[in-house]
Amino acid sequence: MTSSSKAIAACALLMVVCIGALSYWSEVRNDRDRGWVTRTLHVVEKLQALRIDITQCETGQRGYMLTGQDRYLELYRAGVDQVRQDMKELPDLTADNPREREAIKQLDPLIASRLAELNEGILVRKESGLLAGVEAVTRANNGERWMGQIAAQIGEMRDTEAGLLSSRLETAAASTRKIKVVIALGNTLAILILLIKYFVIQREIGKRNLAEASLKLSNEQLVRRTAELSETNIELESFAYSVAHDLRAPLRHIAGYSGVVVQDYGPRLDAEGLRFLGKITHSAKQMGRLVDDLLSLSQIGRQELSFEDTPLVVPLSQAMEDVAPEWAGRKVEWQVGELFRAECDSGLLKQVFVNLLSNAVKYTRKQEHAVIEVGQTRQNGERVVFVRDNGVGFEMQHAGKLFGVFQRLHKALDFEGTGVGLATVQRIIRRHGGRIWAEAELGRGATFFFTLSSPENKPREPAEVPLKEKKEKEEEMHVARS
Amino acid sequence: MSHEVEILLVEDSAEDAELTIRALRRNNLANEIHVSTDGVEALDFLFCRGVHADRTFTHPPRLVLLDLKLPKVDGLEVLRAIRADERTKAIPVVVLTLSKQHKDLVAGYNLGVSAYVQKPVDFEQFSEAVRQIGMFWMLINQPPPSSAFTASRTRGA
Repeated sequence: MTSSSKAIAACALLMVVCIGALSYWSEVRNDRDRGWVTRTLHVVEKLQALRIDITQCETGQRGYMLTGQDRYLELYRAGVDQVRQDMKELPDLTADNPREREAIKQLDPLIASRLAELNEGILVRKESGLLAGVEAVTRANNGERWMGQIAAQIGEMRDTEAGLLSSRLETAAASTRKIKVVIALGNTLAILILLIKYFVIQREIGKRNLAEASLKLSNEQLVRRTAELSETNIELESFAYSVAHDLRAPLRHIAGYSGVVVQDYGPRLDAEGLRFLGKITHSAKQMGRLVDDLLSLSQIGRQELSFEDTPLVVPLSQAMEDVAPEWAGRKVEWQVGELFRAECDSGLLKQVFVNLLSNAVKYTRKQEHAVIEVGQTRQNGERVVFVRDNGVGFEMQHAGKLFGVFQRLHKALDFEGTGVGLATVQRIIRRHGGRIWAEAELGRGATFFFTLSSPENKPREPAEVPLKEKKEKEEEMHVARS
Repeated sequence: MSHEVEILLVEDSAEDAELTIRALRRNNLANEIHVSTDGVEALDFLFCRGVHADRTFTHPPRLVLLDLKLPKVDGLEVLRAIRADERTKAIPVVVLTLSKQHKDLVAGYNLGVSAYVQKPVDFEQFSEAVRQIGMFWMLINQPPPSSAFTASRTRGA
């Protein structure tokens, strides 16, 4: 994911969290606002009740005064209890509103006075009878006045509460509206962000698909190209083979008929004629060798290798036997050290050694005391085979030409050769996944080094020994158990 | 007896045939040599048919020198036909060719070739190779007895 798409995702997440928090907060506020509304309604209700309760007191008292029956007295007393209860609850309900508290304070003595008056009437009726009571009530004649004041006071309070109610309802409605707006806005924003995110992802997917498609295409091209190349390679190899093969026939004929002329007509030719025929024969031979070398070079590229775990001494000693005729009659000191085992094609490795040893023999020809050394060494953890001689060597600046086909560092007059041998060696080593290189100094000999495929060139002993030990230990344990 | 063909040389190159015959003759190794210049003619000769219908199976050549690169039917096919037929399968066949291609060698030996020799470029080496082949197969080697060529017998059982 790109950083921009990450930022968008983070934005959307933040947005959703914000909306959640805001909704919660708004809901809490809305709850509180609605609480206020409920409370106001409560106060209004209570004031209503107060009025009814006072009326109940009056009804009870009046009934008693007229009839003297206790059931009116009961009604009166229940009314008084309720009025007292109402007056106790009202200050709590209006605790938030100082104006209402003030109103209640004023209401309190009015109610108390009225209740006292009613009570006095009852007492007079109880003690002195109907007429005295009526007289007392008539004498006081305050009932209407008190009641008027009480009603006015309650009415005022109810007005105040009504005002409050409407304002609180408004607040609650406003906060509900606000919540709706916040939620709608927030959600719209979140959806927008998610939409943007979606398109960004779509675009990224598109880009990736495009990249994948182009990768696939170039892979296919690569595969096709490789196939074409290897086909071309095979064609070239078989072309080289058939050219070399077809060249051999006329060469044999040149050499053959020259030989026939020498055999049948030699006595009739003079020395110069014989020398020319010798030249023809020699050139044909030289070309024949060249063709043979080319044939074997092209063959190595095409033939399948048969890998086998081989001690390298085996192809080496075979090679030494093969080159023995080349140094017959000369004094050559051979120093052959130990060689490791490797997974390789023994026949081709023999050819490697034949070519390297043959070169060593050839280039030490002018040495009185020729020394050829074969052994193993280690470089950067890799096991390396080397073939060293104290022959004529070469200048290191020409080392790059060493392994090229037909590349020669010496004149044919000094040292014969086709310039194919080392190319063949390199091809064999490469087909084994190894490398070949040389170090030399003019007049002081040359050393050729080669490795074989790295993974197969790993030392085997450390891997095998612990395994063997482990097995032996297991066997011991078996013995101990039985 | 002197008219019986002792060596069948299957060789399409007139020069090679001439040089081979010369090398054999100089070593007094063959009185009767028949040269076939293509595979079909060689098979006609061996199986006594076509232009060689007058020949009989009772006198097979003592040695076939076979080149592999031949017109019409190649050397390996000729070898296959020789080895597939009870009347001819006992004839010693030496491949004498320019090719030392791995697959030709494998195919040759799998088809039961008696020997496989690559013609050297060098004339002296070539003469020497031909001399040794002729010496071995015509003088040292015990040729298969005539009973080896009857269809009822199987060899090597």
